Amino acid sequence: MAANNVGEIQDEIGFLEARLQDARNRLKNVQLTGTQNAAQKDLAAANDAAISASVAPGLGSHTHFLLLLSDSQLPLGSFAFSSGLESYLAHTPPRAASFSSSFLPSSISSMASTTLPFVLAAHRSPPKLAELDDQLDAAIVCTVGRRASVAQGRALLGIWERSFRSTVAGDGQVLKDFSTLLRESKGQDVPLVSAHLAPLFGIICALVGMSLRQTAYVFMLSHVKALVSAAVRASMFGPYQAQKVLASVQVQRLIDVVIDREWNTAVEEAGQATPIMDLWIGRHEVLYSRIFNS
Amino acid sequence: MGSPFPTSISKVGEGHIVVSPLPSGGNGLETITYQYPLKLISPTPSVHQKSVLVFLLSYGGGLVGGDHINLDVDVRAAALLSVVTQGHTKIFKSASPDIVTSQNLNVRIQDDASLCLLPDPVQPFADSVYIQKQIFTVTPTSTLCFLDWVTQGRTARGENWSFVSWKGCNEVWLAGHSPDAKPRLLVRDTVLLSSPDSVVLGRSLRDAMHQMAVFGTLILRGPKVQRLADFFTTEFAALPRLGARDFRTIEDQAKEDSQLSELERWRARRIRMEREQGILWSAAQVRSCVIVKLGARTVEGGREWVGAMLSKEGSVEEHFGEEALMCVK
Repeated sequence: MAANNVGEIQDEIGFLEARLQDARNRLKNVQLTGTQNAAQKDLAAANDAAISASVAPGLGSHTHFLLLLSDSQLPLGSFAFSSGLESYLAHTPPRAASFSSSFLPSSISSMASTTLPFVLAAHRSPPKLAELDDQLDAAIVCTVGRRASVAQGRALLGIWERSFRSTVAGDGQVLKDFSTLLRESKGQDVPLVSAHLAPLFGIICALVGMSLRQTAYVFMLSHVKALVSAAVRASMFGPYQAQKVLASVQVQRLIDVVIDREWNTAVEEAGQATPIMDLWIGRHEVLYSRIFNS
Repeated sequence: MGSPFPTSISKVGEGHIVVSPLPSGGNGLETITYQYPLKLISPTPSVHQKSVLVFLLSYGGGLVGGDHINLDVDVRAAALLSVVTQGHTKIFKSASPDIVTSQNLNVRIQDDASLCLLPDPVQPFADSVYIQKQIFTVTPTSTLCFLDWVTQGRTARGENWSFVSWKGCNEVWLAGHSPDAKPRLLVRDTVLLSSPDSVVLGRSLRDAMHQMAVFGTLILRGPKVQRLADFFTTEFAALPRLGARDFRTIEDQAKEDSQLSELERWRARRIRMEREQGILWSAAQVRSCVIVKLGARTVEGGREWVGAMLSKEGSVEEHFGEEALMCVK
């Protein structure tokens, strides 16, 4: 936690220094435009570039991984899931259906109340991973929701094993043990572990050095991005409107509100804040035509 | 032979029920104790009664703000118990949001024993604050059938999810092989409804409930309700596809309808009822339990649906007797 705070402060210092340097450069350029000597101007620009390269510190490995884990190209297969949006549209008369004023807040609230405590808990205490996964498995009482969570969790575990592990410091022994348990659980009626997304996301973010708050934010924002992307493909709105929704103050505020709400929620206290979401997600299976897996 | 009335214990709101099989056959109450505001009544069993029947009541038919009920139930090996209520469990308003009304149920069901808990729904009034926790510990051979449902409140008084908060947690644990072994959590089903939380997110709790009047969860596990659990999953799989169109002519439809089996005709009637009453449900197999989630536009519609499903399949009546179903008919 302390190390992450240092990283965040360093980021902030780097950002402020870069802005200061940028402002100085602009001032110099304005002052130079008056002179006729182009060669002198080029020379000054080259000097400035050298100075700024020596001043601005790097963003650090944790920022690098933050960008990777928040990238929509992260191969989790999130694009295959609509988290109940497709079913919501099928259950709601077209005129009454609304993304931003109805489905979005319900879905953010539901995702946060049911799973965010597991992300936070796994980040705070990585050794509890298997136990958290088992408890989450007991708490997702809907076939379609389980399928979506497990498919993305296994994909993330695969990314860790095949792509991240060799680069990240620390041995990640907890995840190695977890993979072994997962293989042993195959075919059991009540498996020891199932590899749900939320706890794995929490522990992997902790291993790559992301702070707790960053982890929670990226987890929730990724959910919103997947929803918005699903809405575009379900023809609710176009790509510009999608970016508008993502950029909106509403989305930023909703994410912060739910993170604050769940910050101190024990996993034993997590639950469904929007019961109709369970029905929409569960009834995805009775749709006649489907473009998503959930 | 002691007093004909259940003995009283000292702690407020506490109760204990122990059911065990009688040597002469049938089931008997070994213990039934309770203290205000909890009230338990068990009618004298008749010879043909399949399970012990207990009414779970409270004085005045509800819980006043700040009441706490803690009920322990032991269903001893091979015994059968049915628990019902008499009317909605009303949750009266709390004077302030930090006064919590609560109900805890802790049930242990031993080998080959069975519990059927099909109560009336909980009806939280405006401004009430309520928490309930129901923990069921089962063994691989015990049977559990229970329904937990909550309504929008008193519609006649304009209530529509007007309470401050309602929290319900249902847990099913599998007991360890030996008494010291740790039990294993099978299912944890938690619903958290909070008016202030909903408002912070930009819409009222009423809007977030999408015109539903009642939400419920039915959890089934164990050999005596295995057929019932399969019935729910089969019926869920047999639901008509949403958005599908019927391209048959009216004559063809009528002709095919006349060749349907009795079950198919019943199903068609039920599905029509689901559409008219705005009933949404789903069934899922979760870690050796079957969990049915239900939402309905009217409380009576929801009740009728649950009753129709349980009566049609028949396992509850067969093992526990008709009385076990009295709250869902």
